[in-house]
Amino acid sequence: MVQQRKLHSMTFVDLVINFIMILVVLICIVPFIYMLAMSLSSPSAIVNNQVSLWPVGFNVQAYIQIFTYPNFFRAYGNTLYYTVAGTLIALFMTTLFAYALSKSFLKGQRIVMKLVVFSMFFSGGLIPTYLLISNLHLTGTAWAMLLPFAINQFNLIILINFFRAVPSEIEEAAIIDGLDYFGILRQIIVPLSTPALATIGLYTAVFFWNDWFNGLIYLNTSQYPVMLFLRNIVNGTTMVGDGAGSADKSTIAMSIKSAVIITSTLPIIILYPLLQRFFVAGLIVGSVKG
Amino acid sequence: MYKKKLVSTTVVLGLMMSTLLACNAGSGGNGGTTGEGTTPSPSNEGNTSGGATTEAEGPLKLSLYYADNATLPFKEDWLIVQEWEKRYNVDLSFEVIPVADYATKVSLALNTGTNVPDVILYQTTKGENASLALNGAIVPISDYADWTPNFNARVEEFGLQEQIAALELKDGKRYYLPSLFDKPFYDGGLILREDLLQKYGLPAPKTFDDLYAVLKKFKEENPDSYPLTILAGPRVLYRMTMPSYGVSVGKNGASGTNTLSWDYEKQEYFPGAISDQYKQYMTYLAKLYKEGLLDPEMAEPIDGDKWAQKMATGKSFASYAYYDQIGGIEASATEEGFNLQMYPPLQGPAGAHHQPKSSTGSGILFPKKTAERDDFERIVRTIDEMFFSEEGAKLASSGVEGVTYTMDGDKIKYADDLTSSADGIYKSMQLKYGFGADPLQLVWVNAREMTKYDENYLQINATVAAMDEAIQAIPPSPMFDDMTAEEAGSLQTPLADTFEIWADAFLTGKKDLNADWDQYVTEMKNLQIEKFAQLYNDNMKK
Repeated sequence: MVQQRKLHSMTFVDLVINFIMILVVLICIVPFIYMLAMSLSSPSAIVNNQVSLWPVGFNVQAYIQIFTYPNFFRAYGNTLYYTVAGTLIALFMTTLFAYALSKSFLKGQRIVMKLVVFSMFFSGGLIPTYLLISNLHLTGTAWAMLLPFAINQFNLIILINFFRAVPSEIEEAAIIDGLDYFGILRQIIVPLSTPALATIGLYTAVFFWNDWFNGLIYLNTSQYPVMLFLRNIVNGTTMVGDGAGSADKSTIAMSIKSAVIITSTLPIIILYPLLQRFFVAGLIVGSVKG
Repeated sequence: MYKKKLVSTTVVLGLMMSTLLACNAGSGGNGGTTGEGTTPSPSNEGNTSGGATTEAEGPLKLSLYYADNATLPFKEDWLIVQEWEKRYNVDLSFEVIPVADYATKVSLALNTGTNVPDVILYQTTKGENASLALNGAIVPISDYADWTPNFNARVEEFGLQEQIAALELKDGKRYYLPSLFDKPFYDGGLILREDLLQKYGLPAPKTFDDLYAVLKKFKEENPDSYPLTILAGPRVLYRMTMPSYGVSVGKNGASGTNTLSWDYEKQEYFPGAISDQYKQYMTYLAKLYKEGLLDPEMAEPIDGDKWAQKMATGKSFASYAYYDQIGGIEASATEEGFNLQMYPPLQGPAGAHHQPKSSTGSGILFPKKTAERDDFERIVRTIDEMFFSEEGAKLASSGVEGVTYTMDGDKIKYADDLTSSADGIYKSMQLKYGFGADPLQLVWVNAREMTKYDENYLQINATVAAMDEAIQAIPPSPMFDDMTAEEAGSLQTPLADTFEIWADAFLTGKKDLNADWDQYVTEMKNLQIEKFAQLYNDNMKK
């Protein structure tokens, strides 16, 4: 009964909104379907402009070619490792830091907060950072990918605000019951903050997944993340005609570029809807002032 | 409250200061180390470390930066690497860096001096590298000419002494071992549908007027087509055609000045962007554009795929592009008798010229740290032998006898798996074995390279080689110090921007070449194009 009434009560405005939303969804999805179709089509169908949203002359040659690139799977494995390890480290460090900073009675909290904000706007620049990382003997190790980005100021601030929103009465009760601050953090705050942590975790995972630049400058060939590798396939040949070198003349087929884009974005796209339900709660609560 | 605020501000300020100081100390310290290590002169070390490969010594361990092209990905087990290790007693460890980001990585390594390899392949001392070299980050390899006998011999054999001298920086030293070409290749140019020429009974174009007639006919027969299209923005078209009009300007200009051109007779720069030659050139192109003979999409970058699409589907019939790219299109085209052909450069008012090319290319540079190694002499001698000796050069170009080729008298015969490959000999040899990879092959002998291509390509190259100065040399770069380079740069940017805007307007007919030309010239003069040219000419090597 109730449901039926709901259906009937769909006003004209609702219709318009729904229509617009469907359009937006299409705008987001169609390019991917197009890429997928391209990556599964034969080169001659692509050159002759026959491919739209459905593969023409179905073949998986493009995928075979990327998968047989030397080191492709190693690079993919590297990226998975950086993403998982990096996200875990980042969540751990950010949580510890944010919890301490959410206590405004803590001595020095304001200064540390100012430093955090300061470093958010001013960074050392590429060469000093590079020198720092290499003087710490991190270059050539996976730590160069994981440690320098363990704490992102923006995520930290979101988390601090989230922690501040947790009513202090809960903590007081826990203290009376005999928990110390680590216990409170572990047993009360973290379980209460899963939406925020999931959101930040996803942000961080996307960052590590997409990061190619730090891999390029700090790591050796065998440690490169897959993004760097794929970037080279998509970007490396856009210089056609720029230089006079003969290497610039070869072009990479559209089907391969599409296949590269699909293989590199698919995992993170799959992850998104799984975490999406946490989003709204995580972000909105995080932005409420404590 | 006030006190509290003051304390925190002081702490923040203090931290800021110390960060800044730390940065300074870092770079200062770096500069110090560059200064204090004096490069050992060859005479000092003399004959102590002996020749290139001594069997008694273990293999020479070398780390190298390699610029990797995704179309021809580097493989550690390439035959060329194995052969080098076997023949020259070396142990090579390559760091394979994507070519798109190669410059960034090299720049960081040279700037910081940490984690530098022993040898950096595929680099020049253009741009940032020049000031890095002058500041001591790169070994002035010309100081060690005694250790590079094979390089010196090739330079002499090809008669490239002048071009090599032109690579010297302001201090009269050369900082890298460039790749050497005995004769520049004609690897791209006017590409036309030969089958249509025959169908319409047209002769092959020799001049730009012929080309106009050909395009006109194509358009008549196919009214909804745009006969001439371009690849990768108009720069390839400009670069390959402007020299026949006596100029070379725009982003594609061989000189890199954007608005100046080189006068080959007077051996000096002139403001090409406001010259009559340029006006004549633009008049021709504007005519093509107006009559719908030129692709109106040419302002946007047309990438390889879109270009292939236009050519294969008959939206266009002519283009300026590279020979390598013909095969792919022909394979995809559905039209009966579809046949693309490349033609020699067309005759313009200033003769028939293709884009200027250099007889030297990217090569090897040694970071300063390598010179600190005890076996530096052995490194240089080994590199010289690997890349520039007769044997090494032949290996890099043709591969190993018995594996990639056999000799039939004095004629080279490539292995069946190479000749039958759809990719062609050149590409499949590189893909499979690494021979002919741009960063690895530093000696290019035209006749030897031609054996890797088909008859047709050979023919065209022979025709072009027989023409008078079809491929001119790239104009020399001036020797700017940092201050003058800065001044030149600040003059260049507004000039280039203005030039681009006007060039587009002239081409598309938004501005009239006759009516608005004077206004354009005045504007360029106000932006001091003449002073810019003067600056270049004043700083040429005397």
